[in-house]
Amino acid sequence: MDYGPPPLFNQGVSARARLAFFSFLAIALIIIDSRVRMLETVRVGLGVVLYPMQRALLVPSRVADTVADYFTSVTTLTRENEQLKRRQFEASQSLQQARELAVENERLRKLLGARERLGNAAVLADVLYESRDRFARKLVINVGINDGVRAGSPVIDDGGVVGQITRAFNETSEVTLLTDKDQSIPVQILRNGLRGVAFGGAEPGTLDLRFMAPNADVVDGDVATTSGIDGVYPSGLMVATVSRVERAAKDQFARIVMSPVAGIESNKHLLVLLVEPAKLAAPAAAVAAPRKGARK
Amino acid sequence: MSTDSTRSPARPAGVRGWLGSNFALRPTDPIEIPGTRMGYRPQYLLRPANPLFIWASLIAALVINLLPWGRTPLVPDVLAITLVFWNIHQPRRVGIGAAFAFGLLMDVHEAALFGEHALAYTLISYGAITLHRRILWFPLGAQALHVFPLLLIAQLASLAIRMWVGGTWPGWIYFGESGVGAVLWPLISWVLLAPQRRPTDRDETRPL
Repeated sequence: MDYGPPPLFNQGVSARARLAFFSFLAIALIIIDSRVRMLETVRVGLGVVLYPMQRALLVPSRVADTVADYFTSVTTLTRENEQLKRRQFEASQSLQQARELAVENERLRKLLGARERLGNAAVLADVLYESRDRFARKLVINVGINDGVRAGSPVIDDGGVVGQITRAFNETSEVTLLTDKDQSIPVQILRNGLRGVAFGGAEPGTLDLRFMAPNADVVDGDVATTSGIDGVYPSGLMVATVSRVERAAKDQFARIVMSPVAGIESNKHLLVLLVEPAKLAAPAAAVAAPRKGARK
Repeated sequence: MSTDSTRSPARPAGVRGWLGSNFALRPTDPIEIPGTRMGYRPQYLLRPANPLFIWASLIAALVINLLPWGRTPLVPDVLAITLVFWNIHQPRRVGIGAAFAFGLLMDVHEAALFGEHALAYTLISYGAITLHRRILWFPLGAQALHVFPLLLIAQLASLAIRMWVGGTWPGWIYFGESGVGAVLWPLISWVLLAPQRRPTDRDETRPL
């Protein structure tokens, strides 16, 4: 074919028509993906095709890591260290909750009775890589639908909450970090129980505690934990410490900047909490109550 | 049809130049004629591109893009450059459809919105195909200047889409990737054209 003359008359569809067709298709995909969320199955399917390639490409960086490990310490020590880290890691969730329990117990003793506290099932995950996407803060980890991970599961490390699974594939899943602009988490100030919602900060690597009154009792160094009222994040997990509070009289709300407690930028191992879907449907009870009354 | 046609010295090169895009004359550095201020550009006759090599190079570029780069700044989109290269050199083999398909694969990997890369690659592919008759008459440096706006258009398309659905502003350094890509253009074109520059039969006395 290469030695023959180019087709002079049969040029096929013109480039402009192709451009129109494919741009239209791409824009349609973008709209469907961003508005309707119908393409998740397609994405998961293509993800299965790409998965072996992605894993193979991680080998060079893994090898480099291993070599570096070997030279910094004896191999056995490394392994032992790794095991200890894992063990400490698995215990960290209960440790974090225990800290909050102590404070909460004190408060509850004055008020009502103790509240039931849920122990969560969890899977340990390794960070495969940080997404190259420059418009969002995302990690890819090595557990997926096959390990029981669902979109929405919270992800923590030994310090505190890291983020939330936003997309689960068969073998991998995407974690959106708390510092992502679109991510939000309900929090509670540990010192006085003040509730609020923290969003990914305007400055990179921070969280903003929005919609707090200018006179809200929040000071520098306050610790924010999850409040648990959304039914997604179990209560009492460490989230962030308040690093700056600005109260301007002309603003409707105080501007509160927090820095995350978890090592969001420097994690290798993470813990994915498997929240049962039943627990996500918490508001149903509130709706059901008046209905009972109506039947009577 | 005839693999022998390259070997037979009977036909003059000028006629072949009219026959197919693969025989088109390619520019290189000018050579000065001694004693005058005039110069001329010797032009290579390229061998036809091997389709296997085209697709292998595109997949290699995809693999380079899939490497865990993380948030390393100024990493150029090698796949986009390779697509532009083949769109310019072999527009009949690698067209807008191929660019769209590779864009979809990038979308799955990069946790981006489905169709974001597909649209960006479709646009640069159209740009490259529109430019392909003009661009090859320039030396490599000037070609890079043509490629830079193409890569920039792809980045602007991505940026516009992501800002529309509420992404974070990536900072001005984001546009540096196009600059690095354009700087890499001479190197990438040299590597990708290397198999076509290979002589059919080695002969020390022949100038080409």
